[in-house]
Amino acid sequence: MGKARFYFALWMAKLSKPALKITGHQGTNFPGEVALKICPDFLAQIAKPKMIVGITGTNGKTTCTNMIIDILEASGKRVLSNREGANINSGIATALVNGTTAFNKAMYDTAVFEIDERSSKRILPYVQPDYMLITNLFRDSIQRNAHAEYIAQFISDNMPKKTKLILNADDLISAGVAPKNNRVYFGIEEMESDVKDCINKINDIQICPVCSGELVYDYRRYHHIGRAHCKDCGFHSPNYDYAASEVDFYNMTMLVSDKGGDMEYPIINDSIFNIYNMVSVIAVMRELGMEHSQIKKHMSNMKIIESRFSEKTEGDLTVILQMAKEKNPLANSRALDYISSIKGQKEIILMPNCLTDGDNWPENPTWIYESDYEFLNKEDITCVIVTGPYASDYELRLLLAGVSPEKIICEYDEFTSANIVPLIPGEIVCIISGMDHFPVAEKARDRIFERAREMGR
Amino acid sequence: MKVEVLFPEVCNLYGDLMNVDYLEKSGAESVNTSLKERPKFIDGGIDLVFMGAMTEKSQEIVLKALAPYRDDIERAVNAGQAFLATGNAFEIFGKEIQNEDGTAIPCLGIFDTVAKRRMFNRYNAIYLGKFDGFYVVGFKSQFSHSYGGDNYGGIFRNERGDGRYPGFEEEGIRVNNFFGTYLLGPLLPLNPPFTKYLMKLCGVENPHLAFEEKAMEVYEKRVKEFKDPTVRVKY
Repeated sequence: MGKARFYFALWMAKLSKPALKITGHQGTNFPGEVALKICPDFLAQIAKPKMIVGITGTNGKTTCTNMIIDILEASGKRVLSNREGANINSGIATALVNGTTAFNKAMYDTAVFEIDERSSKRILPYVQPDYMLITNLFRDSIQRNAHAEYIAQFISDNMPKKTKLILNADDLISAGVAPKNNRVYFGIEEMESDVKDCINKINDIQICPVCSGELVYDYRRYHHIGRAHCKDCGFHSPNYDYAASEVDFYNMTMLVSDKGGDMEYPIINDSIFNIYNMVSVIAVMRELGMEHSQIKKHMSNMKIIESRFSEKTEGDLTVILQMAKEKNPLANSRALDYISSIKGQKEIILMPNCLTDGDNWPENPTWIYESDYEFLNKEDITCVIVTGPYASDYELRLLLAGVSPEKIICEYDEFTSANIVPLIPGEIVCIISGMDHFPVAEKARDRIFERAREMGR
Repeated sequence: MKVEVLFPEVCNLYGDLMNVDYLEKSGAESVNTSLKERPKFIDGGIDLVFMGAMTEKSQEIVLKALAPYRDDIERAVNAGQAFLATGNAFEIFGKEIQNEDGTAIPCLGIFDTVAKRRMFNRYNAIYLGKFDGFYVVGFKSQFSHSYGGDNYGGIFRNERGDGRYPGFEEEGIRVNNFFGTYLLGPLLPLNPPFTKYLMKLCGVENPHLAFEEKAMEVYEKRVKEFKDPTVRVKY
C-alpha cells in the first residue's frame, strides 16, 4: 500500500506539471505539494542523487547555493537543485520529482538544495545531505524563528549523523550545531577593519557558550561574528580549516588557505558578508574534491545576483538597489552598514515594510528596534525617505537613532518617494528594500532615472 | 530617575533594550549589571529595575545569577521597588517553568505563577489593553504562557488579545510596583502614556519624553489600527 501510494503521488506530481502549463497556472512548488499531500513520507521514499549538498543558515544561503550550482555546472556536472523553487519541503519534493524517472530512478548524480532552516525538521531526516553548509545563524523573523539559539537547536535535533558539516568558525552560534557530527570550519583571519567591541544592537554571544563566563573577542567583524575566547574556562572559537586572509579591497583579492595549499582568489563583492559567502563556497568545493585552480577559474566570472544588490549609472546619477529581507534585523543592519559606508553624499529611500503582513495583520515593528538604523546618522547622508504604511514608525526609529529631523521625509506611498527624492547633483541615491517591495523599488529606480533625464542630467 | 538594567548580555532579545534607551533619551540615567555582579537595587538607589526578554537557556543562566538574592528580591518587591520585566523575563520570578517533556525548572518563587512552554507552538499576537484610563498597545511572540497566580492582578485590562494566559482577562502581572508583561520589544517608545506613568512612579515629577510628538502620533495611529475589529489579533 505504501509503495502504491508513493507511486501514485509521484505520477500525480509529474502529471501536475503539464496540467499547470496547459491551464496557464504558476506554481513552482505545486508538484511537490501534490506529492506530499498524497504521500506524507514522499521525501523518504523518492530516489535521490548519490551526493547531496545542503545549504542553510540565516543569511547568504541563496547566494551560496547559486554559486555552488554554477561552479559545479561550469565544471561539467549536471546538478539537480531547487533554485527555481522554494527552500521548504514542497520545493525540495518538486526538485526531486523533476530529477526522478516515473519508475523512481534518480536521473542526477548530484543535488544541491537550499534548505530553509526552520524547515529542517521536515527535510533533513529524509533527504540526508552528505555535506551541509551552514552559512551563519542570526536573529530573523521574531514570529517564525524566535531567536538564533532556538534555530541552532532545531537544526541540531534534525541533523542526520552521516552529514559532514561545513561551518562558520567566526559564528559561535552555527559553529556549535550538532556537535557530534563530523565537521570542518571556514573563516576570515583578522582584518584591518576589525574591532574588539560590538557597536551593533544585536550581539548574541556575549558570554561563554560553555561556562557562561567572560567572553573576550580577539577580533570582531560585526555583531557576534569574529574570534573569541573565554577568560574563565579556556574555550575558544574553532580553528579554521579554510581560512581567508590578506583581504585586499584595493585589488579585490584574498588568499584562501587550507591543508592543500594557498590560492589567491578575486573578491566578487566588497561586502564582508559576501566574502564569507565566497569562503564558505570555496570550503564546500574543496570538500567535494575540487582543486583551488578550478574553483578560482569558475569563480572569477561570477557576480552576486542582481536581485540582491545592483548599481546602475546613467549620466551623472548612480542609483543603488539593496535588498534586505524584511523582519530580519540582521540583514537590515548589514545593508544599512554597507550602504552608509559607500563613499560620497547619499540620499536614502527605505522600503522595508512587510506587504504580506500588512494584508493580514499589523506589522510587528520589534525588528526595527534591533536593526542598526544608527548607521544612517552620518554627515554624508543628506536625506532619508521612510515609506509605506508604517513610515511613521521608521521615522520615530530614525529620530531615536539620532538622525536629524530635517533630513527625514515621511512618505506613506512607496513609489511617490521616487518623485520627491531631492536628486542633488553629485549625490548617490540608495534604495534599501525588503523582498516584498523589490518590484516597487525597481519601478522607483526607473522613475528616478526618468526624472534625472527630465532634469537634463 | 536611575534605571538598573539586569544582565543586558543575555536579556536583550527583540529590541527590549530600546526601552532603556528611550528612558535615557527622556532624561533617565542607566546602569548595567552583569551576571557576575550583585544587583545594585538590593542596596538601594535604583528607581526602576529593567529586565528584557531572553532565550530559554538564558532563563536558566539568569536564575542561577539571581538565586542567591531571592529573599532580597522578595523584600524589594514588597517594599515597592519598581520593576519592569518584558517578554519571558517575568517568568523567572514565578514558581517554575514547565517543559513539554514533563521536566520543570524551579524559579525564584516570588509569585506562584507557573510558565508552560510549548516549543513547537509559538504564540504571536497583537495586544490592546487599558491601563489607568489610557490604551496600551503591544506585541507578543512567545513559547510560553504563565498560569496560576490569579490572586495577583495583571497590569493591563484586555481590550483585544489574550492576557497572561489565554482566557485570563488581564495581561502580565502586577504586584506593588513590579510590572511583568509578555509584551515585548519597544513597549515604552510605542506607549508614551505608559512611559510617563512609569517615570512619574519613579519620581519624575513632570516627565518629558524624547520625540514625544512623533511617539504620540505613532501610538495614536496604532491604537486606531488595533481597535479596528477587522484587524486580526493572532498571527
